[in-house]
Amino acid sequence: METRGRMTIDVQGDALVLAGAIDETSALHELVGRARHGRLVLDLAGVTFINSLGVRDWIRMQSAAQQAGVAVELRRVSEPLVHQLNMIVATRGAASVTSFFAPYVCDACGREDSLLIDAIAHGPGLARFEPPGMGCPECGAHMAFNDFPERFFSFLARP
Amino acid sequence: MGYDGGQVSSILIVHPDRKTQRVVQRILAATGYTIDVADDLDQGLRLLAHHRPVLVVVDGTAVGAPTLGDFLAAAKARGAEACMTLLGAATSEQLPRILGMGAVTNLLVHPMPILAEELTITAQKLIRNDLFGAEKYLLWGTDLETTILTRSSQRAELVATLSAQVRARGQSARVASMAMLVADELISNAVHNAPVEAGGARPRRDLARDQDLALDGRHAVKIRWGCDARYLAIEVTDKFGSLDRETILAALAKNDVRESGGGAGMGIAIAYRSSDHLVFNLAPGKRTEIIALIDVRHPPTERVPASSYNVFVERS
Repeated sequence: METRGRMTIDVQGDALVLAGAIDETSALHELVGRARHGRLVLDLAGVTFINSLGVRDWIRMQSAAQQAGVAVELRRVSEPLVHQLNMIVATRGAASVTSFFAPYVCDACGREDSLLIDAIAHGPGLARFEPPGMGCPECGAHMAFNDFPERFFSFLARP
Repeated sequence: MGYDGGQVSSILIVHPDRKTQRVVQRILAATGYTIDVADDLDQGLRLLAHHRPVLVVVDGTAVGAPTLGDFLAAAKARGAEACMTLLGAATSEQLPRILGMGAVTNLLVHPMPILAEELTITAQKLIRNDLFGAEKYLLWGTDLETTILTRSSQRAELVATLSAQVRARGQSARVASMAMLVADELISNAVHNAPVEAGGARPRRDLARDQDLALDGRHAVKIRWGCDARYLAIEVTDKFGSLDRETILAALAKNDVRESGGGAGMGIAIAYRSSDHLVFNLAPGKRTEIIALIDVRHPPTERVPASSYNVFVERS
């Protein structure tokens, strides 16, 4: 049997780096107490999975942060988490998203990849549901966005 | 073939588009039943006076029409077992309205022309009352791996293994991720929400999800999965059969999956939105089987941005 790995927390610079699965075992409420100077920066590139129980606890963590006056920044949000942010608006809460991963496919060689998008630099285009252009890391050709932009970027709009 | 007092049973199609009428008629005629076609619900009502359809197929754009209620009541009175609604890519924005009605038990979302396989399978299951098994949705010869969960703590390992095996068989990280999420939600549902006592109490519903539970006897949960390079199918079965049609339709309609923080039924709503087709096979008091189908043929941009579902209830 494989294991999906419990969520781990590391510190890197100003961010808490979360990795693994967010589920009923993750104790997310403890994160708020680790905010620094009223800021909680979460690096989420390593989050591989989040189920409905993880979402419930995530939303509670967001509410606790808001009540404590802590500003939450979501950085390098992984695709599984974006999927949940799009399905359940409350998952985003009042947090700001500075970057996230998105699906691209290369028209030339067929490579599929999850590529990082800077939500600040590309903010105006993303608001118009225009994905930024990306080059294929394998063959250098143009990569096409591999989802419906209106659906995938909807989490960026303020609820 | 169905006969009733010398009258041959039929299937009634109500669709305004002639081309679609012909396509649906051709597909469903393969069942051997007589096919009647109406352009609208009024014409359908008139046909119901003379026919006894086992199945009525209604275009999704008719949902919300003032005469739909009369039509469905008349179809039921004439013995129709179920109503199937078709929703084309161009009209997929009707989905929230259809879900909000809480009355459509079979919805097939499809690119035009009609997806023949899904239409035929749905019709045959309804007509034959032969509901169970993911094999019906997969090509002949597709192997289904089976696991019986005997402790609730095995859930996390099982879905991780499923994800790894899906990847090992050449599917994308996205498909594996969706499979993991869908399996986790359906298993969690079967372990905690399905068990019901004679008095109706659900003793495991409010237990902490990280509490390890023995899944012996009737509590055992069966998981099967297989892929035929068209669909990845994940089937989860419990032996309580406590999930009912109304609960499912209410869960599917949960717009609070987008708007609020979750709660009961969120697992079903998430599984629906994370798969391309979710099938509920219900044998009340005996078993509930849920099959999630994830389309592995087409990239997301070539698929319809809405999902199909069926709620089948076994006739005793």
